[in-house]
Amino acid sequence: MIAESVTAVRPTQGWLWARHWRRGRVLRIAALAVYTLITVFPFYWMLITTFKQNSDLYSETNNPLWFNAPPTLDNIQYLLEQTRFLTWMWNSLIIGVGVVIITLVLAVPAGYALARLRLPGAEQMGIAIFATYLVPPTLLFIPLTRVVHVLGLSNTIWSLVLVLPTISIPFSIWLLMGFFKNVPFEIEEAALVDGATRSQAVFQVVLPISRAGLAAAGMFAFAISLQAFLYPLVFTSSTAVKPVTLGVVTDLVRGDLFYWGSLMAGALLAGLPVAILFNYFLDDFVEGITAGSTK
Amino acid sequence: MATLASGVAVPRTLAVPRRAAQLKGYVLVLPAVIYVLALLGFPLALGIWYSLTDTTVARDGHFIGLKNFVDALRDPTFKLALRNTLIIALVATAAKITLSVGLAFLLLGAFRGRSLLRTLFVLPWTIPVALSTIAWKWMFHSQFSVVNWILIHLGVIDQGIQWLGTPVAAMFAVILVSTWRAVPFGAIVVMAGLTALPADVLDAARVDGANWWQRFARVIVPLIAPILFIAILFDLIFTLTELTVVYLLTGGGPVDQTQVLANYALQVGVPGSELGLGAAIALFMLPVLLLLTILALRTIARREGVA
Repeated sequence: MIAESVTAVRPTQGWLWARHWRRGRVLRIAALAVYTLITVFPFYWMLITTFKQNSDLYSETNNPLWFNAPPTLDNIQYLLEQTRFLTWMWNSLIIGVGVVIITLVLAVPAGYALARLRLPGAEQMGIAIFATYLVPPTLLFIPLTRVVHVLGLSNTIWSLVLVLPTISIPFSIWLLMGFFKNVPFEIEEAALVDGATRSQAVFQVVLPISRAGLAAAGMFAFAISLQAFLYPLVFTSSTAVKPVTLGVVTDLVRGDLFYWGSLMAGALLAGLPVAILFNYFLDDFVEGITAGSTK
Repeated sequence: MATLASGVAVPRTLAVPRRAAQLKGYVLVLPAVIYVLALLGFPLALGIWYSLTDTTVARDGHFIGLKNFVDALRDPTFKLALRNTLIIALVATAAKITLSVGLAFLLLGAFRGRSLLRTLFVLPWTIPVALSTIAWKWMFHSQFSVVNWILIHLGVIDQGIQWLGTPVAAMFAVILVSTWRAVPFGAIVVMAGLTALPADVLDAARVDGANWWQRFARVIVPLIAPILFIAILFDLIFTLTELTVVYLLTGGGPVDQTQVLANYALQVGVPGSELGLGAAIALFMLPVLLLLTILALRTIARREGVA
């Protein structure tokens, strides 16, 4: 099931719409159009704000939906030159890579063992691990502040590298268990019969076959680390150590003054890559979430 | 190794590996378990301990029983936060489920532009929530709100609404952003359930003369109910503890009218530095969350054939 897109449509499903196609068609297109507008509008608004001059932005008489003065790159220039935007992007990248490494190093062996070694209680352990994914950061940030402080990691990006895998590891184990279960046992056995050791069989046969799963788990960990807001908010305070999602929404606000043009530029430049990355492995993510119920 | 070789054909229960191999297997799981226990289990326990003490940033606390919880319940802001948390969770979850099912059906079936539409539709869910929330804050600006401009020009309202400055409108804004963000995910989960529907059952229902609504209510809903149920439980857990939207959009205002438990715990616990009280506020929902988690896991386990 995993390789197959969960949103792929079987031809037999046409029945749902076939009979009411003509009657429902206009309504359906109208509903989709309205929904598309509501979905996309905030992104359009970010985009057009990014390229507007301040005099155009802060005017009550202008049509806000289009340019009333020539477009400008001032907001992007301000973001790049007057804020630490590039530092924040770099911090986010380092944090993301660190979280991915920790997640994969810990989740791959665990997922493999739980999926393929027929350990007594493996299924229950898998579910227990998944349960920890449901513990929200809101319950943990106060005591974790103390833990991070005791470890001497307050106000460093390493606090996030350390803590964020607690969100990605449980889900990645769950995701990888699904992928590893789908590798036929015969292939691994054949390698063992041919004289490979167990670890050779794993590294040369099982992992290469499961690379889609490894990629999904890795990208999930990366996306999670970029989505995080609460942990960065409480663990990092200096401008130089903030990840991009926190830096943009805190450092472009000075007291009551919001630099809307640069705020939207930052939101767009930081947000779109994450959104595209996430979209790329969405099917695997949903497969993990709905585990088994779509079989 | 013999057990592995014989494992495929032999029923599961017979293929118990030798003890040494088993031990190796558990050793592979152990590092992940230790990591999660140390940074998730331990903080959770520490948080529960904090909530029973008068710990502040400056000093280690003494055990004071349930005093923090009693104090919280007497605090008018806490009551507001509790009320708002429940309202937001209930209204937003109802809206998300309704719209998710609707959107899933709209996207069902092959048509041109479907994959492009899907990419567009998931944008709200895939962009980091802090960044989309700040865009909404700008759209709800007190003076230059584009939402007001559009509504006025459509003739819906005569005069701009102070979206983030009046209690009801601010609650609406929080719920709207939260729903806007979550619907794509819900729709995709429902679509996953719909594509997995057994076609023969549906065809049988149609042959038997069931109309569209009957097929929806009697056949489709019961078939996708488990997956829908899991989605609802997940969503409730995350909505009850959500903080980012309120923190960035309204800051809990105007005057705590959109305050929620998570954001209030943050205010009390971090800048206010009252760790004990903050932990108590954060953990107030724990029994409810525990119940939801157990329900979700039981549903998943049943579908996995474990329980």
